[in-house]
Amino acid sequence: MQLSKHAGAKVYTRTGGGPFSLLHRLRDLYRFRALLYYLVVRELRARYKNSVLGFLWSLLNPLLMMLVFTVVFSLLNPNSSVERPAIYILCGLLPWNYFSAGVMTSIGSIVGNSNLVKKAYFPREVLPISSVLAQLVNFLLAFVVLFVLLLIFQTNFSPRLWMLPFVIVLQTSFIIGVALLLSAVNVYYRDTMMIMDVVILAWFFLTPVFYPLDILPRSYEWFGLEWNVHRLMYILNPMASLINTYRDLLYLGAYTEWDFLLRTAVTSVGMMLVGYWLFIRLSGSFGEEI
Amino acid sequence: MSSPQTVGSDSVGPILELRNVSKLFRLHKAKQRSFQEVFVNLFQMPPNPSQDFWAVKDISFAVESGESVGIIGPNGSGKSTLLKLITGIIEPTAGEISVNGRISALLELGAGFHPDLTGRENIYLNGALYGLSRREMQARVDDILDFAELGEFIDMPLKHYSSGMYVRLGFAVAVQTEPDLLLVDEVLAVGDAIFQHKCMNAIQEYRRRGGTLLFISHDINAIESICDRAIWYEQGEVQLMGQPTDVVKGYLHQVAENEEKAHTAAGHGRGVKDLEHGQRWGSGRVQIIDVQLCDHMGKQRSVFLTGAAMEIRLRFRSKERVEDPIIGVAIHHQNGAWVAGPNTDFGNVTIPYLYGEGEVIYRIPSLPLLAGGYVVSVAATDRADTEMYDYHDRAYLFRVHTDNTRERFGLITLGGQWELGKIEAEKQRRYANERIVPLK
Repeated sequence: MQLSKHAGAKVYTRTGGGPFSLLHRLRDLYRFRALLYYLVVRELRARYKNSVLGFLWSLLNPLLMMLVFTVVFSLLNPNSSVERPAIYILCGLLPWNYFSAGVMTSIGSIVGNSNLVKKAYFPREVLPISSVLAQLVNFLLAFVVLFVLLLIFQTNFSPRLWMLPFVIVLQTSFIIGVALLLSAVNVYYRDTMMIMDVVILAWFFLTPVFYPLDILPRSYEWFGLEWNVHRLMYILNPMASLINTYRDLLYLGAYTEWDFLLRTAVTSVGMMLVGYWLFIRLSGSFGEEI
Repeated sequence: MSSPQTVGSDSVGPILELRNVSKLFRLHKAKQRSFQEVFVNLFQMPPNPSQDFWAVKDISFAVESGESVGIIGPNGSGKSTLLKLITGIIEPTAGEISVNGRISALLELGAGFHPDLTGRENIYLNGALYGLSRREMQARVDDILDFAELGEFIDMPLKHYSSGMYVRLGFAVAVQTEPDLLLVDEVLAVGDAIFQHKCMNAIQEYRRRGGTLLFISHDINAIESICDRAIWYEQGEVQLMGQPTDVVKGYLHQVAENEEKAHTAAGHGRGVKDLEHGQRWGSGRVQIIDVQLCDHMGKQRSVFLTGAAMEIRLRFRSKERVEDPIIGVAIHHQNGAWVAGPNTDFGNVTIPYLYGEGEVIYRIPSLPLLAGGYVVSVAATDRADTEMYDYHDRAYLFRVHTDNTRERFGLITLGGQWELGKIEAEKQRRYANERIVPLK
């Protein structure tokens, strides 16, 4: 889709296989920002429909999850060196939940809104992005709980705590990238959803949510080769890097190294660009494929 | 975001232009929806390329600002595909579509509505789907509420709405958001007559303000009354474009011809042999053995135009001498109304006797029936109407199309003349101060 200035009015020119322009696409997205807003509201409302506690579940859910994980964690690992396991786990669990819920709810967002996609024109990326943003709202609500707990359990925040919003933005862009990619692929292959159920589960165990990254071996023999699992995890799993950063800022009160943060930023933004690019490539025929 | 757009901005060039637009559909036998099928298909023959289907073939036309263009065509002619291309729901395989402004499209009943949200929330959601910001919608929401007339329902979830309310709301949003190009598909047929009338008024009002309209309908009368230009679109191609009356005429002739062909292919309607049990009764002393509906050339037809000549030809056979019979026909409208019942007696034709085979013809020089489906019954009886020799009850169907006459209400055209009487200025003055009270 091309968008050009013509006689002072907006001109939308649609051509088959026209040149792709991210800027034009983003301008279109901006024009439809109200739609993004209503879809987020709709998704949030749908979730808490017919529930007694309503949005309080956004706050209660992490607390209860934390309880479960803390109990399991202490039972499995009674001699753990991890202090304040509740905070430790919550710092990993909340970002993880944001990621997994954001990805899983957005995968079906195009297919699930076929009535909109087939009947109206709007930038299709609005759908997965709104799913992710609805989860972001949840995540931020849960963060309120976390901060209350942080104030109760500990006071030494990282001097770089101001970077927290930046990290949240990075994580959001990573999730949006994955969401765009998978929601587009899911239009063509509905297996994506089933596969991702399993992938997310595996990913969860490969991410140091309830164990410290340090327990991973720095040297491991596999197929006659020596693997630095610890290092590989950092490089290949952006979620591990992100959760590590959250822990640095909120739990350890440590400085996150700049180069580490930069690498995380490059991965996250890169993921979003790749996802967006693929989405635009595929979105042209959503209207007829669904 | 720009300020609310004025309808029909004074821009140069067409508001919508299609340049050599084509759309190819790949018809998969069964779409490969899972990896399993993809995997299985790896070992099978590649898909047959002949399953490609060009739904739109090299279409070019433009709609100027302030113009009103109607599109007619039968079901499955690719009108919806064309609309989806224009709105951007699907993309063309080749060619270019440029839209100079904002489109509101009423493609389907309740499209883009969410059943769990209230009417008011849906107004905002729908506006957002048209690319309007919250502020732009806030400025318009009162007009929309006024137009939709939903009363207290406006704050109830949409799932409690009737289909008529859906249309009202959808149409209200589409029109009151003042698009540069309003695209209306068949949806209006759903509302009640009063609302349809209101919609037509709103469309006229929108047009007066300089709005551009693309109107898709089967209702050729509506096309003739609203549109400046009409396009007959069929089989992915523009068949005819021009004055609505000309295009409608061309289209109707084609429709009549096609129906004729279809009837011929199906053994030319129904013959006497096809009569079902209970549809034919009588003593059988006179038998009507063949009934033909023909045009003025004596060619058998099942589709007629209002104002054209029609002949009903009845062949009868009698194995004995039957004195002074009466032959008659009855024409019913498909909704059951009995339109006419002429017979030889009313027509002052006396048949002294029948013996052997013969033919009776009833000629209608100019068919007064208006568009619709009709059915013919035939009868042979004695003068006293005590013995029915043969009766075929509502056995022979035909359709009527109306083209050049402007009449479209009721079953028949009376052929009357209107005359404007003298207008008395004094009386007018007296009535001028009286308020017109609407009839309830």
